[in-house]
Formats: sequence, C-alpha cells, structure tokens
Amino acid sequence: MTNAAATGTERTGIQIVSEDDVVRVEELRLSFYTSLGVVRALNGVSFNIPRGKVLGVVGESGCGKSQTGLAIMQLSFGRIEGGRILFREFNTSEVIDITKLEKNGPEMRRIRGNHISMIFQEPMTSLNPCYTVGHQIEEAILLHQTQDKTEARRRTVDILRKVGMPNPERIADSYPHQLSGGMRQRAMIAMALSCTPTLLIADEPTTALDVTTEAQILDLMRDLQHEIGTSIMFITHNMGVVAQMCDEVAVMYLGRIIERAAVDDMFYDPKHPYTISLLRSIPRLGVARGQKLESIKGSVPDPYSTVPGCPFHPRCPAAIPGLCDTVMPEEIFVAGSQTHTVRCHLYT
Amino acid sequence: MDTAKKNGKSDEILLEVRGLKKHFPIHSGFLRRVSGYVKAVDGIDFYIKKGETLGLVGESGCGKSTTGRTILRLLDPTAGEIIFDDPNIGKVDLAQLSRAQLKRVRPNMQIIFQDPFSSLNPRLTVGQIVGEPLEIQKVASGQALRDRVAELLQEVGIRPENMTRYPHAFSGGQRQRIGIARALALNPKLIVCDEPVSALDVSIQAQVLNLLEDLQEKYDLTYLFVAHDLSVVEHISDRVAVMYVGYIVEMASTEDLYYHPKHPYTEALLAAIPKPDPRKRTRPIKLPGDVPSPANPPSGCYFHPRCRYAEDICKVERPPLRDIGGEHWVACHFAEQLQLQGITRLNEIPLIELPKRQSPIPAASPAS
Repeated sequence: MTNAAATGTERTGIQIVSEDDVVRVEELRLSFYTSLGVVRALNGVSFNIPRGKVLGVVGESGCGKSQTGLAIMQLSFGRIEGGRILFREFNTSEVIDITKLEKNGPEMRRIRGNHISMIFQEPMTSLNPCYTVGHQIEEAILLHQTQDKTEARRRTVDILRKVGMPNPERIADSYPHQLSGGMRQRAMIAMALSCTPTLLIADEPTTALDVTTEAQILDLMRDLQHEIGTSIMFITHNMGVVAQMCDEVAVMYLGRIIERAAVDDMFYDPKHPYTISLLRSIPRLGVARGQKLESIKGSVPDPYSTVPGCPFHPRCPAAIPGLCDTVMPEEIFVAGSQTHTVRCHLYT
Repeated sequence: MDTAKKNGKSDEILLEVRGLKKHFPIHSGFLRRVSGYVKAVDGIDFYIKKGETLGLVGESGCGKSTTGRTILRLLDPTAGEIIFDDPNIGKVDLAQLSRAQLKRVRPNMQIIFQDPFSSLNPRLTVGQIVGEPLEIQKVASGQALRDRVAELLQEVGIRPENMTRYPHAFSGGQRQRIGIARALALNPKLIVCDEPVSALDVSIQAQVLNLLEDLQEKYDLTYLFVAHDLSVVEHISDRVAVMYVGYIVEMASTEDLYYHPKHPYTEALLAAIPKPDPRKRTRPIKLPGDVPSPANPPSGCYFHPRCRYAEDICKVERPPLRDIGGEHWVACHFAEQLQLQGITRLNEIPLIELPKRQSPIPAASPAS
C-alpha cells in the first residue's frame, strides 16, 4: 500500500532524543549461555518511555519481553552483550547508563526498588511467605525513604489504603497466604509504588487473576498512574489489556521490536504482517462468530537457532523471496507518521 | 448470522444433568474428623444438545472444572443424575453405573485437559499415548493400531513419523494436539474441553480453536467447553452457562447471554472483559468484596453481598434456575425487571491487504 518512494519514510535508526524520556534503551543485546547452546534473547532492542506514559510491550512467550524488563532492573541472569539503558530520575538532569552499573553495587541498589520498581506475574511466589505484608512494604520504605519506623508504618498503611484494601491496618499485619490472589497483587502494587518510582515495570501483572479482579487491578493502576505520574512499562500478551491500558505499544518478536505505535494506530492501522496476524487471531466479541479465526502458520522457532533475514519470514504470508530471508529489515518510520515505526521490507 | 454453525444441530439432548452436587469433605483436628464440606458443585441443572458446544464460564474456584470431571465420573458425584444418551446402550444415568458398566460408556465421552505439559505421560511415546485408549478398549492391535494412531495424528496436524518421539520434544501447541488426538481415538460423541487453550500463546490458540471446530464439523462432536476467557467462549459456543460458587446463575444462547444478560453477575463479568479496542475503554462494574468460599457460602442468593441490585428477599431465598422464555435460564429473583447492560459489538480489525510484491527488489543494502 505504501510506496518505497513515499515521502516521510526515513532509513535512519530511531533517534527520538527527548528531555521527556524517563528511560531510553538502545540496541540492547542479551544472551544466555547454556549447555545446549547460546540463546540470543534480545537482539538489539531500542525504545523509549516518555514521562507519565504507559508503554505496552506485547509478544508471545519467548519473544524477550520479560527479559527486557528484567534487564532494566539488572535482574536478568543473561549476559548483556551490547547496547545502553539510559535512565533519568525524577527532577534531575543526570542520565545514568544502567548497563554500566554493577549488579549489586550501591548505585544499582539505590535505583532498584526506589526509582524503578517491578510487579511480577505470580503474586503467590513474589511475596515472602515468612513476613507480613506490612513488613515487606516497610522494608522498602526504610531502605530508601526514611529511617523512622513509625513514619514507615504510617506510609505503609497509607499506600495500602490507596490501592483499595478494605482494612489497611489489618492487612498490613496479615501474611501473604491469608490474602486472595487479587489482594496479594494489590499488595505487590502497593510495595512497588511505596517509593513513588519514576518507572514501574509491570510484568504480566494480571495474567494470573480472574477477569473481574483483573479489571479492578487495571482500573487501580490507571488511577494511580494518573495520580503519581509514574511511567509504566506494561508487559503482557493480552491484546485486550493493552488496548485498555496503554498509550503506546511495542510488539516484540524473537528479541526485536518489530512495530511500535500509539495504541490507536496499532489497533486501527497495524503495519507489520505479524501484528496484523496477531490481532486477527484473537476472537473479537461480536465479530465473525462461527467463522474460522485467522491463525499464523507454524510456531515460534526454537530459541537456539538463528533465523537469517527477518525473523518472521518463515511464517509471514507476505514474505518476499530473496529479500526477507536474507536481509534483516531496518526499523523505519511509517510514511507520514512521526511515532509509528515498523521493521518490515514491505514498507522500505 | 451463524446459520452455518447451526446446521447439523438437532434438538435431541445428548447429556442432561439434574441436581448434580459434588461436595469435598474438609478434615480437621487430631482425628481428622469431617468438619465441613467444600460445596464445589452445589445442585446444578443443564443439558447439552447433540452437535452443539456449551460454554461453561466462571471465575476460578466456581466449580466449572469439577463439573466437567464429575460428568465423566472422574470424580464421583455426591448427588444428582447425569443422563447420557449412549448410541449403543441408550439413555443411562452415569451417576449410578458400576466400573464395568462405565467402561462400556467411556469410549463415547472423552476429555481434553488444560495443561499440555502435565496431561501427557513423559515416559510414553506419542504413539503409545494416542494408542492407549484403543488398547484398553481392545479396538485395535498391531499394525491396525499403528495405522489408526498415524491417521489420528495426521488428523490433528502432527506428522505420523513423530509417533516414536516423547512428549518433551513437542511445543505446547503440538502437545495439545496430541491430547486432542488421544481424545478422538475412540470416536467419542461428547468431549469435555477443560480450558483447552488457556495455556497456549495467542497465535497457537487460534490454530487449536480452528482445529476443534473442524473436528466438530467432521465427526459431529458435542463439546462441553470449560473456560474462563469470555472472548474465546463467545467465539466457539452455541450456548453458554455462567457459574458462580458452584451454581449455574445463567444459561442461554451465546447471542442472548452476551447481548441481553439477565443476571447481575453476568453483567459484571461481561463488563470486565478487556476489550481489544482502544476506542472502547470501559470501566469495570465495582464488585465489592471477594468471591465467597464454597465451604461457607452466604445465605440466600450467593451473589447478594456483591450485587448492586440486591433486595431483602435475596438475603433469605435462593433463586432457582428458571426459564424466562426462549431457553434463557436465569437464577435471579428480578430477572424480568432488571435492565442490564450487555457487551457492545467491537469493530472488525480493518482488513489491510498485505502488499504482495511480485519481483524481489535487488538486495537492499541495510542502512548503516
């Protein structure tokens, strides 16, 4: 549909350098060295998250979306082999390259949990069963914010109230097993937000929850995000959650971002064949009942192998022989847009 | 709109469940005395017609999986009748059958499990897994068995050469296909699909759903489709039943249930679906509190503490599941009066023709 010669299409790498960015990841590469071979989890991931925005990162399992989040926190077991993660705190102009910091060094520990915090998928396993919920939230506050124990306790109860806990004093003295899944996830969110982080990484925060609880947690996150102004990196595989929650979306496939756009463009004007297929393969309420879903042929290739050219070409319905299977497409702007980028030969 | 799907459906009832209960005892104290019961399934009634798909939805712990397993007698029911129309024996009450009698009915009812990793024995090859039901029922042996297994694998899209491999060599989607082949082995009439796609990735989920639909058409199968993903259920089901704390609160055709719900819980459930459309952002209906424990359910209507339309009668009297016309069953005292909000239809993803380039352009040099 677009012509290669269309105006506004640039072949430059993405260079959105903005004062407003909270974090900017550039060409991040991360690998795992295992006895079976090398798994290249991230193959040059670049993106930025503007202040106060929610960036959704979507993709199928094994595409590297969680590893991207963990790499920003320096919690990944993989080896960072290249690229930079630039991070700027609230109200400072100083930019820190996280990849240069030592994993357990004082600088990283100051940032982790304080300026960048994370919510994990499993609310059952990510809270320590031996300590009360209140104790675990206080721990973060005492470490990063204040030395005063009564003050920390007051803030803990405050934040628990803010996340909609019915009886925050009692909840603070409860152990994780005494709470339901939804309550535990609220406690996790309270813990993550206790130090008012600049960036919150939410890794599938609602996947383990029921649909009514999920809706309430999303509603809560939206409210808190407006109130505190935290930027959120929202990792999920659920397109519905993305549409409801995010301002911008990045679609990942095999360790690369293959398309990035504002949420409306992503759902109403998707460009990459993978994004289009993904959107068409989910059942949509009230649309085409009784008809076949469009499915993507084949499955994600084995992580130890490397695919030459575009990683999606073996499954792509529009692959160009001789080009897609040999040359890796560059990330380019979609014609006539300043925000919509795609990595596909169809648009070059 | 879905006349194509309705074809081949009859009004004959394949399975009818009446007053089915499954209570699990809670043991406590030194002597492990029974101190109470978890009422996982607490008196449910429903029926499935031949050739249709009945979706069974609800939140975790509402008893939907227990229902599926109790119907197949993988769990023994506490009370109630499960009347199955067996093609050879005729109508039988599965709840009353002995083990030997059950074995004769079993070929006609099978199950597909949720977790493709734990539902296949890692010590058996794929050929042995799919062939096991045939051996147990002494349907085939030797070369005939191998041929049948190869045919079944082909049917679900797995190359028959893979018969000698073990489950660990396959991806989640492929394993789920093997599970489906095993369920198909004895030409069943009824298949209970217990969350068959919830452990799969989106693109694989679509493949498996399409496969289930193809097989249904080809072999005239009847599905009880247990799931928590309401979008998937809407896509695949002809009728849907909604469960809440061991009880069916609403059962109707998919169209009626999704667009004209009559039970407040259904309304809240539908409002909570995250809709894949950024132009339709919805706020969920606030449900105060948590789902009650099936060991200690509230009085009257189980939903009344969370229901925004609850009145005094709801606290004392449990509403029965009743037909309010047009096979729309609801368990609510005020089903006729309430004006509830269904879902709104979503826009279709705009069909973008993928540009097909005929002549490959000469290898473009990647920009530096």
